[in-house]
Order: sequence, then structure tokens, then C-alpha cells
Amino acid sequence: MNRMPWLVASLLLWTAPADAHDPIFGLGPHVLYKGGIEIAPEFDHKKAGDRRATDLALELTYGLTGDWSAGIKLPYVTSETGPDRAAGMGNLELFTKYRFWRNDMPGVQESAAVAFKLDTATGTTPAASGSTDALLGLAYGYESRKWYRWASLRWRYNGVDDSGLRRGDRLLLDLVGGVRLKQTGYLEPDTVWLLELNGEYADRAERHGAALVDSGGTEWFVSPGIFWTLRNFAVKAGVQIPVASDLNGRQPRSDYRARLVLEWHL
Amino acid sequence: MKRLMTAALLLWSLAALAEGTQYVMRVDGLACPYCAYGVEKKLKAIDGVERIDVDLDRGMVTVDVAEGVTLTEDQMTRLFKDAGFTFRSMTHSPR
Repeated sequence: MNRMPWLVASLLLWTAPADAHDPIFGLGPHVLYKGGIEIAPEFDHKKAGDRRATDLALELTYGLTGDWSAGIKLPYVTSETGPDRAAGMGNLELFTKYRFWRNDMPGVQESAAVAFKLDTATGTTPAASGSTDALLGLAYGYESRKWYRWASLRWRYNGVDDSGLRRGDRLLLDLVGGVRLKQTGYLEPDTVWLLELNGEYADRAERHGAALVDSGGTEWFVSPGIFWTLRNFAVKAGVQIPVASDLNGRQPRSDYRARLVLEWHL
Repeated sequence: MKRLMTAALLLWSLAALAEGTQYVMRVDGLACPYCAYGVEKKLKAIDGVERIDVDLDRGMVTVDVAEGVTLTEDQMTRLFKDAGFTFRSMTHSPR
């Protein structure tokens, strides 16, 4: 068993829903076209000291309108702390995103959206959090034929699990730039290079109302990534490299996080 | 001879009309090919649409439709809104 499964769970639970031309790690305002279906297998891997966490998930998204999408994520999680290993179905996630503002210009789209995610306490492994959590996000995006920029703010409220543990709430800030070095035609392969700055602040965790000393703090990551597409198929990949951290007490600092997403639009 | 030429010209004109219509639409917000797939999918769902071309650099969508098929501005405004873009205008001409 993991000594501190909630720490591993907290590593797994920060990811944003994958959506079209959005950042790899941050949140973007993209939604799906009305009636569209997005199928996205995802792979996430994180390492912090002797802790490793891997998340294999299938994400399904549906376009309710041209500005509103909703979906579900089914993860299978594996966590290792030293020699201890736990694996099983992670928490079922339900999410929705509404693009409330859009400014379309020739070859340019600027937009903003709100997102909500509910993380249900349905996991069957200690690697999944045993609490029902909620995430609220606000995202802005600008995309042109050449340049991209995004900014997002997310707040994660964590519930209390059966053991009386409440992981600290999280505040996530993302600033992202992107460039398409070669403007290709509609049916040609297209590549966008991304560079993200991801900041995470976490409150201290509490057990039965008492704060846990070795929890919470701040971490900053610089995250290069790539977005490759061909018509209705996309590959998104990126690595988060920690550049600064201020964690409370004794906690392992993040070594790296990696993400790979395949997307089909149907 | 004159009658023969007139008949041939008439036949050619009818054949040209039978080839349908080409619509050229100006659409704002088209920045990436991946996002434009929704446009293609929605246009292909219309009976009689035979060919679609998306010119991202010019923000133009060209649609060839079969004879007798008509696309209206209201229909295109709704279609592009559902696809997540803004329809501005369109012109059409026989193919």
C-alpha cells in the first residue's frame, strides 16, 4: 500500500480536459462543434522523488451546441511509492465547458470560456482520491494562423474522504504561447509548438480538521509541448519541467510530468 | 448550319447548368485546419453537397452543390454558428 496515497492522488487530479487546440497542461476555451464527438485516449505520468503515478484514461466529449460541450473521463490509475504499488479504476470525471465570448476575425479566433469538472469518489484503488471534488476554471484564448496565446485560472475544491482527510484546495494559473511555423492547408498535417508556464498553489491538507504539516505549497513548471493534427485526428504531447517550488514541510518535489493525448473528432 | 450551332450552344448551356452551383463563403474565425473539420462535417451532411474546400489563409469556404440544390444565408449563418465560427457573406455562380 502507499504510505500517502492522497499525495499520489493529488498528482493525478490536476489535469484539464483535452480539447482541440488547447494547451497541453493548461485550460483553453475550445469546445466541440454541435453534435460532434471527441474520443481521446490519454496517458499521464508524474514522478516526484520515489513516487510515480500513471494515469491511462479515455475521455469522451460531446458538442451540445457550437459553444457548449460536456463529457466524461474514465481513468485507470497506477501509483508507486518506493516498492509499494496500487492500481485500479480511478475516479469517474464529468466535465463541461461553455464558451461565453467569441470574437471571430479573418483567420483569427479570440474567445473565453468557463469550465466545470466534477471528480466523483468512484475509484476502486487507494491511488484515487476517496472524495468528491470540483474544479472551476476560466480560460481565454487567442489563435491566429501563426500565433497562439492562452491564459487560464482554475480553482479546485477538494472534499473529505471516508478517513476524514481533506486534500488542500488548489489554485492553478497557466500562461501559454504557441506558434505555427509553417502555415499548411486544410488537409495537410499541421504542427503547433507550445510553451507553457504552469503555476500551482495548494492549501495544506487536513485530517479531521487538523492541518497536515507536510502538505501544500507552490510549484511552477515550464512545459514545452507539441500539437500535431491531420484533418480530424490530433496528437498532443508535452513535458512539465519544475522550475521553482516552495512546498510546506517535507515533501518530494516534482521531477517531471509528461502527457500524451490522441484525439479523434467524429 | 446556324440552326445546328444554336442547338449545340443550347445543349452546352443546359449541360453547364446541370453541373450545379459553386458557393464561395467568407467565414471568420478559421485559424486552424483541425477546428475546420466541423465545418466540413456539417456541410457534407447537406444533400447535394459535392465538394468542399477550406482556404484558411483567405478565410474562404468553397462549396460545390449539385443541380437544384440551394444554400441560403440563413442556413449558412446557423451552420457556421453550430460549427463555432462566424459566417459573413457568400457569392454563388454556376459551375
